[in-house]
Amino acid sequence: MGAFNTSLELSNTEEFCISCHEMESNVYEELKTTIHFTNRSGVRATCPDCHVPHKWTNKIARKMQASKEVWGKIFGTINTREKFLAHRKTLAEHEWDRLKANDSLECRNCHNFDYMDFTAQSTRAAQQHSTSLASGEKTCIDCHKGIAHQLPDMKGVEGW
Amino acid sequence: MKTIIKGLLIASIAFSGIAIHSVAQEISTLRNETKLDEQKTPNKIYQVNNSDIKQKRNYPMQPPLIPHTIRNYEVNLNTNKCMACHSRQRTEESQAPMVSVTHFMDRDGNFLAEISPRRYFCSQCHVTQQDTKPLVENTFIDMHTLMKAKTDPK
Amino acid sequence: MTINRREFIKANAVAAAAAVAGVSVPASTSNLITSSDVTKLKWDKAACRFCGTGCSVNVGVMDGKVVATHGDIKSPVNKGLNCVKGYFLSKIMYGKDRLTTPLLRMKNGQYDKDGDFTPISWDQAFDVMEEKAKQTLKDIGPTGVGMFGSGQWTVFEGYAASKLYKAGFRSNNIDPNARHCMASAVGGFMRTFGIDEPMGCYDDMEHTDACVLWGSNMAEMHPILWTRITDRRLSAPHVKVAVLSTYEHRSYELADNGMIFVPQTDLAILNFIANYIIQTDRVNKDFVDKHTNFKLGNTDIGYGLRPDHPLEKRAKNAKKAGGSQPINFDEYAKFVSTYTVEYTSKLSGVPEKNLIDLAELYADPKTKVCSFWTMGFNQHTRGVWANNLVYNIHLLTGKISTPGNSPFSLTGQPSACGTAREVGTFSHRLPADMVVANPKHREISEKKWKIPHGIIPPKPGYHAVLQNRMLKDGKLNFYWVQCNNNMQAAANMMEEGLPGYRNPKNFIVVSDPYPTVTAQAADLILPTAMWVEKEGAYGNAERRTQTWYQMVEPPKGAKSDVWQTVEFSKRFTTDETWPKEILDKNPEYKGKTLFDVLFANGQVNKYSLDEIPDDRLNDESRDFGFYLQKGLFEEYASFGRGKAHDLAPYDRYHQERGLRWPVVNGKETKWRFKEGYDPYVGKGKDFEFYGHKDGRAVIFALPYEPPAESPDREYDLWLSTGRVLEHWHSGSMTQRVPELFKSMPDALLYMHPDDAKERGMRRGDLVKIVSRRGEVETRVETRGRNKPPKGLVFMPWFDASRLVNKVTLDATDPLSKETDFKKCAVKVIKA
Repeated sequence: MGAFNTSLELSNTEEFCISCHEMESNVYEELKTTIHFTNRSGVRATCPDCHVPHKWTNKIARKMQASKEVWGKIFGTINTREKFLAHRKTLAEHEWDRLKANDSLECRNCHNFDYMDFTAQSTRAAQQHSTSLASGEKTCIDCHKGIAHQLPDMKGVEGW
Repeated sequence: MKTIIKGLLIASIAFSGIAIHSVAQEISTLRNETKLDEQKTPNKIYQVNNSDIKQKRNYPMQPPLIPHTIRNYEVNLNTNKCMACHSRQRTEESQAPMVSVTHFMDRDGNFLAEISPRRYFCSQCHVTQQDTKPLVENTFIDMHTLMKAKTDPK
Repeated sequence: MTINRREFIKANAVAAAAAVAGVSVPASTSNLITSSDVTKLKWDKAACRFCGTGCSVNVGVMDGKVVATHGDIKSPVNKGLNCVKGYFLSKIMYGKDRLTTPLLRMKNGQYDKDGDFTPISWDQAFDVMEEKAKQTLKDIGPTGVGMFGSGQWTVFEGYAASKLYKAGFRSNNIDPNARHCMASAVGGFMRTFGIDEPMGCYDDMEHTDACVLWGSNMAEMHPILWTRITDRRLSAPHVKVAVLSTYEHRSYELADNGMIFVPQTDLAILNFIANYIIQTDRVNKDFVDKHTNFKLGNTDIGYGLRPDHPLEKRAKNAKKAGGSQPINFDEYAKFVSTYTVEYTSKLSGVPEKNLIDLAELYADPKTKVCSFWTMGFNQHTRGVWANNLVYNIHLLTGKISTPGNSPFSLTGQPSACGTAREVGTFSHRLPADMVVANPKHREISEKKWKIPHGIIPPKPGYHAVLQNRMLKDGKLNFYWVQCNNNMQAAANMMEEGLPGYRNPKNFIVVSDPYPTVTAQAADLILPTAMWVEKEGAYGNAERRTQTWYQMVEPPKGAKSDVWQTVEFSKRFTTDETWPKEILDKNPEYKGKTLFDVLFANGQVNKYSLDEIPDDRLNDESRDFGFYLQKGLFEEYASFGRGKAHDLAPYDRYHQERGLRWPVVNGKETKWRFKEGYDPYVGKGKDFEFYGHKDGRAVIFALPYEPPAESPDREYDLWLSTGRVLEHWHSGSMTQRVPELFKSMPDALLYMHPDDAKERGMRRGDLVKIVSRRGEVETRVETRGRNKPPKGLVFMPWFDASRLVNKVTLDATDPLSKETDFKKCAVKVIKA
């Protein structure tokens, strides 16, 4: 059990994530210019911060899902930029669904609603956070899609 | 070339046509009194104004300026992030201003059911503003100022 | 009134409460003014002041001031749209630092090269100019005087200046800044078709199935044309857009096939497409047989540097750069056969799949395709070649001169076509595509100009880059700069431009509305009227000529370029500028002023002031006593009528939103060289490329050759330069519009985040860009709109305080003499 945990922790690092070309040249390259990579305070989101559940049980479940992407790589589903782009919507929807279902758990690990200072936010942001987000009517991912990677074709996506 | 004559307000002396005496050599206003073979330390990169406060338009046809940041807003073949708030369907929820009716017109002036693709790339006309001051004042006069002067009972 | 956010929110809260209570409590009283006498605006049409797209705008005037502008709904070009610059045209004339008096460098009441700028009168200004010009003519002769003009000049301004120099001073040392911009396109047209300017028109965009952008960033540089392509791509989903550049930019937002290539390898990609068309047996043989010839061009032609530069000494054909010999199709096919997809992909860095997808757009006979390019091809040490090569692939497939099939050379400046090219303000040209080196062309021009035979000198004058070199070498001593900002534009400022202007032997006159970088380098500055402060005519990229009336008065003291040129001509007599032998043979010209022989010649002064409506301003005409602009236009138009460059009568342009030449029997021409569209094509010919005597266009075999300077161990990055959406060229107008300034205040260095990281830099860091020629400081931008690949950096040139032309290389295309501003080697270090 101990050994399994160790190897799991290792594979949770960003280094592991981008050791495969698909991740490095697609999603990681896109991340570099976004606010989750470079920002005023220097607090940076790494791949696992958003994409790997932090709780043990979830983590294992997620690993199992992730193996599908590894499978995809091996069998060539996303081994070119073009193929990656063709699958981007499926991959993205996967993540949006997961975050919607867990009420944007990975967002909230850093962005805690209770400690938001609305007066330090822009008027629009404060307005929306103090109403829709506060009431639970919306969750982070409802509005913040594409915050760290380029968006897929957004036709038919709610709110777009 | 001679050293810069400090404190001499070029704009108010030479360019208003009041010929008093010579002005400095470093006259390029946008260079801020710097010799051509020298350079002043470049300003920092400014913040984009994010106040959400609308700025008055200079005339009715001027496209409104964007009063918020648009960092990483995607407008491309996949999506138009701006329309997530400013499209007709989205404004009730977003409370953002709806794109003007002109945006629904095609090249021949017919109204379409959706925004015309020719207006798809918002930033061709709408730009953000950085928190900096213009280097040169602009003396453009608002038509309203002219009209007020004419209707002023005094 | 400015209110801060707290007050704003408070005021809003009050207003909201009041709304609920059913009362209105305005934050400050504002009554609507409704009387039509007061609210009425005087609207008029004009061409936009900025780019080569040639949008028409409506200009609203109140009490002698421009108070509003908007896109002209009636214009076929822009149909009511403007880009952000165009929407702010109203403010470009109102920078507080407008020049209103001539300024001369003086010490102790005298002109002194090292003196301070001192206000003087126009008379004094012309006195000193006259003295300097006459001294130079006496000491050196006509080759000692020169002028640098503009693709932003009105047609009249370019034409008058060209006459004053080529006929008046007998100097061909007049060149426009269009040399930096369009010269390679001209070279391409003349070489392939024997006649200048695009065969197609903007209507192609609504007809096409595929748009290919070759190095062009239309989204920023031709925004309104981009709206037309966007419209087409998004409303007809089968349409494809391919974008090629050396870095990713805004145009990639619409790209179905976005490609980044290694600088200079566009030449290889073009040849690959030709090879692909041949290999896949999709050559339009019928078209090729009937309408084309094949030629092998000279190679190893050098890089247009100074003759003592090692690269020039090494080049085999530097002196015979334009040479070529006939070949046949098989020889051509063999020539391009080395450009395989594997080779080209390896050289260019573009994946094979993308190259093939691109080539298919051209090869597939069912796909109508347009190619668009501007500075990516033109500012290229093989710029003419790049133009020739793109025509090749359209000619091989016959995809040309029909709606939707169009190799389209876009223009940078608003009248690069209208003024620089059609009027022939280049150092080697005369109106209507004629050249000074051709004795017949000189004779025709002398007759049209009603001047004696032998006046126009046969030798081409100094072109733009050569002018700066000759200034530095002290061989060009009297130099007049109008309507451009070349000290900020021309490459290698520290080694050539600045030492040239400040050479004590030289007297430099700069005419400009504003104190620009170039003005600062001058000895005499002339305050100049701009845009709708004068009557104007511009010609855009689709051969559309359009005019506007003067709408407002310039600031008191400022005079238009055409007034300056024509008025200055009064200061000279023929005896001072023309050879005695010619005057002896033609005694009727003796003792006349240049004004008399060039402008009061019975042609230019033919139209009376009565033709100008009383309520119209026209400062120049009322000053000279005749309708100057019409006279200049009509004399100039006589060159092209019946020569496939036909312009309509001047008056008609005041009614129209422009017309595309040739205008024959009152009708404009949309597609040239194609029967049914172009009245100059012979009956039954189908296509006729009548620029060449045999009616055929030339397909050129030309190879990939390396650039003049590539990154090495020390200078390890490519530097590319260019424009931005929000600023026009050097920013002398748009940087004075507060909204445009604040949208894009400073020129930053766009860099890949990994390149920055490797050098220990981050966004916002102060850095120095260093080349072998000079250095400039700016800030690093790693996440802006331009996304360079690793190994390349981009810096725009609009910023007068950060002069990137201290770094750029003055290597030029040996054929077109146009500088390559898109590639040189630099290093970036922390400042």
